[in-house]
Amino acid sequence: MARYLGAVVSFAALAVPALGAAQVAQNATVRRAQQAYDNLEYRQVLTLARAALRERLTGAERARVYELLGFTYGAMDSILKAVDAFKQVVLIDPERQLDPNRVSPKAYSAFDVALRQVLLVRQLRVDSVSFVGGQGAVPVRFTVTQPARVVARAIGTGGTVVIDSGAWNGQVNLRWPARLAGGDPVPAGTYTVVVDARLGQNTFSASQPIRVSHGRVDTVPSVTNLPGYQFLPETEIPPQSWRPVGLAFLYTGGALVGTLGLESSSLGSSSKRELGLVGGAALVTGFVMMLRKPAPRPAVANILYNRLLRDQIGRRNQDIAKENVARRQQVQVTVAPVPK
Amino acid sequence: MTRPALGALLLGLALRPAAGQLLTVGPQFVLSDYREVAAGLRYRGSGFGGALWARRDRLSVEAAVVRVSLDPADGSAATTGFTATQVDVWVAYDVAAYASVEVGVLHRNADPEFDAQSVGAVRVGARSFYEIGPGATVVFRANYLAAPKFSGGGRAAVSLDLGLGLDIRLAGRLHGTATYAFNRMNRKTNPGGTGEIDAPIQETLARVGLAVQF
Repeated sequence: MARYLGAVVSFAALAVPALGAAQVAQNATVRRAQQAYDNLEYRQVLTLARAALRERLTGAERARVYELLGFTYGAMDSILKAVDAFKQVVLIDPERQLDPNRVSPKAYSAFDVALRQVLLVRQLRVDSVSFVGGQGAVPVRFTVTQPARVVARAIGTGGTVVIDSGAWNGQVNLRWPARLAGGDPVPAGTYTVVVDARLGQNTFSASQPIRVSHGRVDTVPSVTNLPGYQFLPETEIPPQSWRPVGLAFLYTGGALVGTLGLESSSLGSSSKRELGLVGGAALVTGFVMMLRKPAPRPAVANILYNRLLRDQIGRRNQDIAKENVARRQQVQVTVAPVPK
Repeated sequence: MTRPALGALLLGLALRPAAGQLLTVGPQFVLSDYREVAAGLRYRGSGFGGALWARRDRLSVEAAVVRVSLDPADGSAATTGFTATQVDVWVAYDVAAYASVEVGVLHRNADPEFDAQSVGAVRVGARSFYEIGPGATVVFRANYLAAPKFSGGGRAAVSLDLGLGLDIRLAGRLHGTATYAFNRMNRKTNPGGTGEIDAPIQETLARVGLAVQF
């Protein structure tokens, strides 16, 4: 009986959308009961709600009637009856939630007690995710309202894959690697994540369809520089100095002293016209070069630094090339929930 | 080194500038002062010539040929001038960033032959060079002139040659060059076997010119 009830509830959970206060009941008795509740005529609500339950109602209308009964019993301090009424609500609509800011504390606590007395798997969520096969997982979340033996499976084109199982209660967070037993990613296609909960003879199931698709893994581009490190100029301009004119003076002076020293006394003093011409040109050149911007010279430290940086970039690109070879053999798995 | 072999070497260097090799060739204007035997025998003159410089790695070759018309200077005892043709060759090897050792030859020929001494000698020496600015290099050299031979005979145990050079890159491949050379030869002769007498020779030379780099 409990199994049958669970199956019916599961079907109802799939077929009945969540009720909202704004939804307007089609059944006249239900509308009158709602109106009586709005007018705080609780006796009238109880009479009309019981009458409505004997009529042919949709699932949403029936859940609304039980909810009115729960609120009314709560207002009348009949907590046990309120709990019973809310149990019927969540059996019809397991995803039903009450807003604690909009309902009375009595009604909310009665609803909360009712949730704990019925085995439900609620709020099953599968997050959208994309990852490289074998290097990520699909987050699966749900809530079990009573301690129960729970099995989560993915059923689809690739067969049935057990996601996880265990004795759980309350909020459950699972991570499904979306892999087959052999380690390969599950084939692309549409799957249904089914969560079965069992407590004694009571069972409950919740499901969420998902779509699994495969794509190519993006390769990593090679790098031309390393973050935080920049190539330095391989030449530097030395500061201006007197060195050019000094050297010209030194060289010219050497020639002059050498000439004076080597002159033969018997031949007399030699002509200085030639030395004056060339030495003067050297001195003028040295003076001009002293005033000019010096020529760039190799910056050895920067050259060595750039060489090291180039080596590092080369090694990094080699690693990237190896990584890209591996990436080209991998599969990008994308999982997205599909609306029911 | 014979004259044809030297010419072939220079021609080969001039025509085949390989990768990594520098070559400059250009004309020169020359000023010269020449003295021989005594203070009263001195000449001054000018002329033209050409120079070649080539480098490959640490090895460099420099050659200069000048032809100078020398006339008796003021107060000189000489009555007629002569024409001197001088060839200088250096082959240098860099032993440091600013220094080279070099060997070479010097040959000076006087025309008419008996108006002045013709001389040939081997050079051995060193030079220092330094880049004093972008494209500007100064050079100082000192050579010992070994085993000089004179057309009039004699010997010179001490013969030295000093030089100062300047090379400036004027624009692109065009260089300006200026070279000073001073050489003195303590020549001694023994005319008629009566005993050695001093007959020194002293020359200063300035070469100024342009050169094109290949």
